[in-house]
Amino acid sequence: MKIKIYILTIIFIFNISHIFGKDIDKNLIYKNLRCLVCQGQSISDSNSDFAQTVKLVVNDLIKQGKSEDEIYSFMADKYGEWIVYKPQLNKQNFILWLFPYVILVSGGLIILYQFRKKREKT
Amino acid sequence: MLSNLGNLLLFLSAFLSLSLIYFSFQCLKESQELIHSKIFQISLVQSTVILACFFTLIAAFIISDFSLINVYQNSHSAKPLLYKISGTWGNHEGSLMLWVIILVIFSFLFLIKNKLHPKKFRLYTLIFQNIIILGFLFFILFNSNPFTSISPVPKEGLGLNPILQDPALAIHPPLLYLGFVGSSIYFSAAMAALITDYSDKSFALSIKNWVLISWVFQTLGILVGSIWAYYELGWGGFWFWDPVENASLLPWFAMTALFHSLIVLEKRNLFYFWVIILCLMTFILSVTGTFLVRSGILNSVHTFASDPGRGIYILSFLSLLIFGSIFLFFKKYCAKNYSINSNSKETFVLINNWFMMFYLLTILIGTLYPIFTDALTDSKISVGPPFYNAVIFPVVVAFLIFMAVGPNTKWIKNRFDNLINLIIIAVVAIAINFAIFYFFKSYTILSNLIIISSLFLIISSLNDLIKSIKKSNIDLARIISHISFGFLVFFIGLNHNFSIERDLNMRVGETKKFHNYQIKFKNLKLKDYDNYKAIIGNLEVENIKLGDKKTLNPEIRIYENPRTLTYEAAIKTNFIKDYYLTMSNIDRSEFYNIKFQKKPMMIWIWISVLFLTLGGFLRIFKNAKNN
Repeated sequence: MKIKIYILTIIFIFNISHIFGKDIDKNLIYKNLRCLVCQGQSISDSNSDFAQTVKLVVNDLIKQGKSEDEIYSFMADKYGEWIVYKPQLNKQNFILWLFPYVILVSGGLIILYQFRKKREKT
Repeated sequence: MLSNLGNLLLFLSAFLSLSLIYFSFQCLKESQELIHSKIFQISLVQSTVILACFFTLIAAFIISDFSLINVYQNSHSAKPLLYKISGTWGNHEGSLMLWVIILVIFSFLFLIKNKLHPKKFRLYTLIFQNIIILGFLFFILFNSNPFTSISPVPKEGLGLNPILQDPALAIHPPLLYLGFVGSSIYFSAAMAALITDYSDKSFALSIKNWVLISWVFQTLGILVGSIWAYYELGWGGFWFWDPVENASLLPWFAMTALFHSLIVLEKRNLFYFWVIILCLMTFILSVTGTFLVRSGILNSVHTFASDPGRGIYILSFLSLLIFGSIFLFFKKYCAKNYSINSNSKETFVLINNWFMMFYLLTILIGTLYPIFTDALTDSKISVGPPFYNAVIFPVVVAFLIFMAVGPNTKWIKNRFDNLINLIIIAVVAIAINFAIFYFFKSYTILSNLIIISSLFLIISSLNDLIKSIKKSNIDLARIISHISFGFLVFFIGLNHNFSIERDLNMRVGETKKFHNYQIKFKNLKLKDYDNYKAIIGNLEVENIKLGDKKTLNPEIRIYENPRTLTYEAAIKTNFIKDYYLTMSNIDRSEFYNIKFQKKPMMIWIWISVLFLTLGGFLRIFKNAKNN
């Protein structure tokens, strides 16, 4: 049993150490920005002039030391929310982000309710 | 000439549908248990007529009869024969023909295959199915007729979009349609069951194979579409959470929930109304998907030329389906008191359905939300991969664990006597995960959890396999599908975490190095083909550490009919990894943009999905043998 705990702890530490000091992944940001002049492509996948320009802007912002989320809000301010694939958590998109968890929790409650009914009967 | 013939056959099918409905009602009035042979005959003739109609259209494409607008707009005489044929369903009008064929043939097969079930149930199923068939036939006849003629007759067609000229895309629509149009038959059967109060487990028996058939083909259709996207679209991914991909996933989740619940209905006579809801929902979601794609409401790679008329027709039809089914459902619904034990197979099936509904509704809201914000607040938003990844993947962890534990429970009541066993499996899974990131590369906590839970599912399913072989009571179908799903998630996890991607601007003759790789841009070749010209790059990718060299030849293709430019990725596949390389010219310079990707375990993702469907096929054959 002790060995198991050791293994678990080691894995845990490994993971924790990973959270800190993570570099900004440029490609990931490219993937999360829509190429506005293409059909359903991200700027990472597109060869259009627009995509090339946005890539340069993103590189600049990274050099300025902006975080990933700051870059997204910068882009959303400049080009509109259509450009970011990850909808920002604001008043308008509140339901979008909340709804799945409401479903998850209420589904679980419905299943639990089934057992309670059963327990009351017996 | 073909135009007249086609129209005639379409009207004839509509007439046959009407007469099927009429004779079914006549037959319902009679007291005998037999269905008139007349009805079987008409149904058979209907199938023949609609097939003939479709072959007429195919013939028009093969002989390039440009007197039909549809052929003129989507074909070209210089196109290879295979793509002339597949062009038939590569467009809106022709694909609707495919819809109707599947509706009709499933209707016929369901009628003749279910001899053991009551007459009323079979006839009502036939009636509802024919109402749907009529709905689509009218749509074809009055809005999207592939046989509309054009005069004067053009000399040459406009051609098919080159990225659709592909073997995978030739079979993608038929497979996918067998899936989601196939779900129509259990929609009709569910409506019939409601009307005739056919509410016991024999209803489950009548539809279970149909659900599995549609599920298998839906899965294969999605797989082929995904493989196509991987090698054709040139971005190296296989799933983009594009609205149309989502539209194909929605019915898939409903089907998956459905055939799990059907087991409970069959074995324990529980969840009848829930099963009905799932039957209705699957087809409604299929039509919703069609609406979203064909109306052009969504921005997607799949959007055909959009036309508001189509959208309005499908939307009205969809509303009719929804309101009709809701009305009938609540008219017949009566609350039943289920009593199930918290630790039983029934519960685990419920849990499966719970997660399926979660995935389904999350994807549904993600797909529809931009439409709402656009309509209500006039602001356009995108809901893309980061949203789905953030919401769905953490939940997959719990799902996989339930999926591993569930099948080992017993019906009605279960005792947890295998807890130690589970702990051992969990420890092994964690140890393997630990080994992977210790020897190769570390990754995030979430990735760890996903890989651990998928390993947990794989190992415990293997454990089941060994146990059941000892007892010689093997549920091979279930075990294969569950293991494959585990492997699917496992390989996606590895693929996601171990991919390498590099964007390079290179001239001919240049060599660039990064990590352990060296890319040499050797030369360019120009080549003329039948229907396009190609600029072919010759690049050498070398893994310096292993000294392993591979030559890749990405292409830029210039098509004449219609005039388009496409980029063909060069892919070198082996059992461990794919090299994926695309090349595109940069305007006004001698540089080329070279995008290199290393995608580990790519082929195993496809293989896992194939095995997932293999499980489905096995179950279908087993069911067919038992009946």
